[in-house]
Amino acid sequence: MTQNIEELLPFYANGTLDEPERAEVEAALAEDGDLRAELEVLLALREAMQADAVQSPGEFGLARLMRDVEGTEQEVTPMASPENVVPLRRLRVWQIAAALVLAAGLAQTVFVMTAPDQPGFELASGGGATQGEAAFVVGFAPGTSEAEMRDLLLTAGVEIISGPSALGLYELAIFDDAMAESAAEILRAAEGGIIDTFEAMATD
Amino acid sequence: MTDNQTQAALLARVAEGDKQALAALYKALEKPVFRFIRSRLNDSFEASDILHDVFMEVWRSAGRFEGRSKVQTWIFGIAYRKVIDAHRKRGRTDLVGETPDSVDDGPNAETCLASSQEAEHVRHCLETLKDDHRAAIAMAFYDDMTYGEIAEVAGVPEGTIKTRVFHAKKLLMRCLSGLVERRVPA
Repeated sequence: MTQNIEELLPFYANGTLDEPERAEVEAALAEDGDLRAELEVLLALREAMQADAVQSPGEFGLARLMRDVEGTEQEVTPMASPENVVPLRRLRVWQIAAALVLAAGLAQTVFVMTAPDQPGFELASGGGATQGEAAFVVGFAPGTSEAEMRDLLLTAGVEIISGPSALGLYELAIFDDAMAESAAEILRAAEGGIIDTFEAMATD
Repeated sequence: MTDNQTQAALLARVAEGDKQALAALYKALEKPVFRFIRSRLNDSFEASDILHDVFMEVWRSAGRFEGRSKVQTWIFGIAYRKVIDAHRKRGRTDLVGETPDSVDDGPNAETCLASSQEAEHVRHCLETLKDDHRAAIAMAFYDDMTYGEIAEVAGVPEGTIKTRVFHAKKLLMRCLSGLVERRVPA
């Protein structure tokens, strides 16, 4: 049995594969007794996990939540500072405009910094990050102003190339080759401050 | 209307400050989100606090949701990051990180799983996994999420998730086999 089929098998067991992948797995199952045995194990494992009843906070947790949201301000934008709050219906336009300003002012050259030799991660191009490819993913702390973001990005020599995602994350690329070594350190140093999520684009 | 459409409509109302919509969303997703958090912490009290933080963040930042993912995926993403923060705060290091060179997941593993159907055994073995492996297999088997959805929650490529679930399964099999061989109560 190949690792590819084995990697798909758990998702066959939970019923989430698309049709071509399901057909691929079923063809392999028809020919491989060991694979069928492994599927039985996975189905039993899933059944055992789902049988694990949880005692969640329930109504108590809901009451606590309702108490605490009372008087808690909602964010209008992930980037707006308290004195620069943007109305919700303008949010997307504002964000796009800010991203364009940053991109137009900063876009340049090439950066290669990922770790292509690490298993479990491969860029579509098959190599390391090149110009326009994300080297980092960051999430900014609520309340971070556009000026604070811009200062940090300029200091680190990086630019926003996409975002925010549904999770409020931005993909960053390095525009200054000279900053290739220090960009990660600068961004990481801001973690816990204006950055609350940081990840270099190399995994596992 | 699908569950996701219903939840997206609720989230839109939450973004407008509707507390009743938040309560409805909480009721719909509290159990799976709590189970996901607890599976990674094994501390019901801390998991309750993080669940609370997750829904407080949903309240504060509902306006960020752009509908590119399912609402459940978006909220799991918040929970995923909150648990990582919790691990960092208490300086927790991952437990088992290595993938075994060879794993006995043949007939003996199958037998052991059949004989340890109790979720308690599985939970015990889940605790031995490193966090990213545990999170991946929890989302796959507790919540029947696709590898694409899990990748989105964890913010990593889909191939990474397939690999994590693959290794998590191998490690679980080894642990469950060991439990049966040693007759160790979970």
